[in-house]
Amino acid sequence: MASSQHEQVLVEEKSFARILTFNRTKQLNALSFQMISRLLELFLAYEDDPNVKLIILKGKGRSFCAGGDVAAVVHDIRAGGWRAGANFFMKEFTLNYLMATYSKPQVSILNGIVMGGGNGASMHGRFRVATENSLFAMPETALGLFPDVGASYFLSRLPGFFGEYLGLTGARLDGVEMFACGLATHFVPSAKLPMLEAALCAVDSSDPAIISSIIGQYSERPSLKEQSVYNRLDVIDRCFSQKTVEEILSALEREAVDRREGWISTTIQTLKKASPTSLKISLRSIRVGRLQGVGPCLVREYRMVCHVMRGEFSKDFFEGCRAILLDKDKNPKWEPSKLELVADSTVDSYFSKVKNEDWEDLKLPARPKFNLPPYVIAKL
Amino acid sequence: MDRAFQRTQILTNHLLRSSPPSPLSSNACLSYSPPELSENNAFDVEEMRNLIDGHNVEERDWLFGLMKQSRLFNPRVRGGKVFVSPDYNQSAEQQREMTWKRIEYLLGRGAFERWLTEKGEEIEMRRFAGFEVFSIYDHSLFTKLGAHFFLWGGAIEFLGTKHHHEKWLRDSENYLIKGCFAMTELGHGSNVRGVETVTTYDSSTGDFVMNTPCESAQKYWIGGAANHATHTVVFSQLHINGTNQGVHAFIVQIRDADGNICPNIRIADCGHKIGLNGVDNGRIWFDNVRVPRENLLNSVADVSPDGRYLSSIENPDQRFAAFMAPLTVGRVYIACSAVYQSKVALAVAIRYALTRRAFSLKPKEPEVLLLDYPSHQRRLIPLAARTYAMSFAANYLKMLYVKRTPRSNKTIHVVSSSFKATFTWNNMHILQECREACGGQGLKTENRVGHLKGEYDVQSTFEGDNNILMQRVSKALFGAYMAAQKRNKAFKGLGLEHMNKPCPVIPSLLTSTTLRCSRFQMDALCLRERDLLNRFVADVSKCKAEGKSTQQAFLMCYQLAEDLGRAFSDRAIFQTFIEAEATLPAGSLKDVLGTLRSLYALICIEDVSYLRYGYLSVDNGANVRREITKICSELRPHALALVTSFGIPDPFLSPLAFNWIEANSWSSV
Repeated sequence: MASSQHEQVLVEEKSFARILTFNRTKQLNALSFQMISRLLELFLAYEDDPNVKLIILKGKGRSFCAGGDVAAVVHDIRAGGWRAGANFFMKEFTLNYLMATYSKPQVSILNGIVMGGGNGASMHGRFRVATENSLFAMPETALGLFPDVGASYFLSRLPGFFGEYLGLTGARLDGVEMFACGLATHFVPSAKLPMLEAALCAVDSSDPAIISSIIGQYSERPSLKEQSVYNRLDVIDRCFSQKTVEEILSALEREAVDRREGWISTTIQTLKKASPTSLKISLRSIRVGRLQGVGPCLVREYRMVCHVMRGEFSKDFFEGCRAILLDKDKNPKWEPSKLELVADSTVDSYFSKVKNEDWEDLKLPARPKFNLPPYVIAKL
Repeated sequence: MDRAFQRTQILTNHLLRSSPPSPLSSNACLSYSPPELSENNAFDVEEMRNLIDGHNVEERDWLFGLMKQSRLFNPRVRGGKVFVSPDYNQSAEQQREMTWKRIEYLLGRGAFERWLTEKGEEIEMRRFAGFEVFSIYDHSLFTKLGAHFFLWGGAIEFLGTKHHHEKWLRDSENYLIKGCFAMTELGHGSNVRGVETVTTYDSSTGDFVMNTPCESAQKYWIGGAANHATHTVVFSQLHINGTNQGVHAFIVQIRDADGNICPNIRIADCGHKIGLNGVDNGRIWFDNVRVPRENLLNSVADVSPDGRYLSSIENPDQRFAAFMAPLTVGRVYIACSAVYQSKVALAVAIRYALTRRAFSLKPKEPEVLLLDYPSHQRRLIPLAARTYAMSFAANYLKMLYVKRTPRSNKTIHVVSSSFKATFTWNNMHILQECREACGGQGLKTENRVGHLKGEYDVQSTFEGDNNILMQRVSKALFGAYMAAQKRNKAFKGLGLEHMNKPCPVIPSLLTSTTLRCSRFQMDALCLRERDLLNRFVADVSKCKAEGKSTQQAFLMCYQLAEDLGRAFSDRAIFQTFIEAEATLPAGSLKDVLGTLRSLYALICIEDVSYLRYGYLSVDNGANVRREITKICSELRPHALALVTSFGIPDPFLSPLAFNWIEANSWSSV
């Protein structure tokens, strides 16, 4: 049963596998509300369908998924108030939770750009396949937002303090780096993807060991480029383990004096260009998320994103969208403009409940109590 | 990665393929059902955590994260989750080296920044938070840091003067100097005034000469001395021109920068212990060790270059008391860390009780969850209430300490003694109950609960033996009574103001409503304290009238003294619970705390002393017990949320608290 070529999510049924393809190439497959709703609907239906054992997610064109459709969210908020934005994220985070706690394996083929919401739609699944075309980033701090979609869960679980580095700087990774740090579970050259897909479609099992060994047959263990930042994990750990963003910056500045490596000054520049409020709430979010299950992470991120949409403590999100997505002058005017002007109490506020009468915390969808696989149980 | 898949394979297959529609009918094999999916939080666990942690929550999470992300903290994967805990299967020598490497790592990350070089409430609270977090990881880490920072550092801060502070504190904060604290001797522990180490002054050379005159004078249990410490504070008698001026504290170098033991110093190991093997406890002997004159910590007394003894405090008793200041803060740290061990144990035992089943009520019915047995609720839930009470009391104690004034010293001394003894005893009791509640699994070191007993047992005797501390509490209450009586003045301080009011009356029939009323609960606790204090004073006076000295009289009345000390602690702890509850707005958080407060009060009132001294009739005693079981079943639905609010991150609990079936699967062998 092939779906219409105009649909934003294409569905193919292959024996026990279902292939879901993002089909919004003009927008680099950015997630619209419609796509998120459709995915949620499909995932819920497949969970109870004994004829579905495996879900494959991929993107059409040169992108897996470039993120949530933030421009549309901003448009909706301007038209209908912050609630419209909150609804988008509520739906998206619900999908993220469902994927994270899904009883059947999800294989995401990350053959291209995977950013922001695209990571939310893939990193929580059991298998993530990177290729030489993969391009990863969580670039939210440049936009006045913070790494959401459960990033406080999956970034914080990367080795050392690499998660802080990725989340604060929005640094880009290639497929090899994604595999090295564990964001990807496999690396498969794109030329082998059609064969991989065919092999996966022949599977009649949800057994992660079986699926892993199939992907393994097409996988390679490529080595990192010499100048890869992942080879500088010791420096990243020393700097990004610091307690505050200010201390992270001064640690980087000290390292810059000692080493004169280009990536360090790039990192400093990037941090200085990002929204100060975003940096502070992002760091806190990753630190808290490191100690929480995926459910509480998403509940907290939903609180945070509602505060961001309301713009009560800072309107950086709207300014960031204006400068990066709409006017494209790439010159956002953050307010507060400096790290030291962002009060701790303001940061605290982002983590509190929204004081609005009919506002409620994110309600996580019910999950089966008895037959979740152990790798899911471990995330709760 | 493949290894991980293998691990999950067997159980996954089993769960995915063999589950019939109704899970309860499948008794073929047990499956782990995560409590997160069946239990609901009726209150906000983050808010509750903020309330009971009380301060520096962000700092705590940062420190937890620093440990979790480093290989040095021995991360291991069990059941798909990461747990961090030292490898206690290593030899004591290896464990000591690991403790030291962990300290170096934390130092490098700035975890101790400003700990010794800054003063004031903010840094002191931060330090408390840090110690609590480190104690959750490992008692050796806590103790090794404690010996360096609050004993060595505290001695220099409290007993030294400006030039000591300038010379030693910054280098100590950076660990250029590794300090330890040599007070206890083989022959003298709690009785510090009896130490036998002797120091004389040699005015011809201008320095002190220190000696260990006999074997019982060897310094014993000195944490850090066996391997790492370069310097120590030594407590020694000071003899000046043939006069013993009492115990004084001296800085003595025991190793050079390369770790070689200094001349005229002998050091030996204390050997393997029932816990704390990551701390290098040592023994020290001094053989005519020359100590520079300026190394006398001289805030209380000094010796002039020509050998004259100078002290601003004439009375030797008061002089000695001033030397004990660093121990007070030690007691605060110990009391607070004990509470966190109870939290770890309860979180593990209660989470396990929410996932482990045993026995069916009828054939073919599913087995019953441990925590659904009223008896299991009765074992664990009151301990959770006690732990909440201790949390509030610990926060009160910390505030009392950081806001200290010369006038509050006495109160701090009494309250810290009382809470240190009570919390550490409670902790040992809670650990034992939780260990048993976990059954055989509680015996596995990796599950933490049982192992913590060996690690934390020491808390009941270090920084003051609990029994002796509690005797001091009773003596202090006696003193307050006598002072009020002598001057015919009202009681003021130590929470004894209730003594000025008419004696509370306990109703002849205790209904459920009365039992849950905070006013009644407070009355019942005050009544016991008041009556025991009256009895204690009367008995001591009677002994004295029979010709015994005050000291002898105290010794004779030890049974009442013990009961009185306990009564004081219970009441003082309860008071902090009431105060914490009062700060909250109406809502689910306040409701559940109100229920916990009632439970805490009732388990105090259930104590045998209420029947022994006749404060409760036998019938009312039965009413109290019945109400306790009712409250336990009311709190049962909150059990998961109550232990989640303890704020111990998953990696610092243990495999038994999570998917213990997967953690023990064949594929994980």
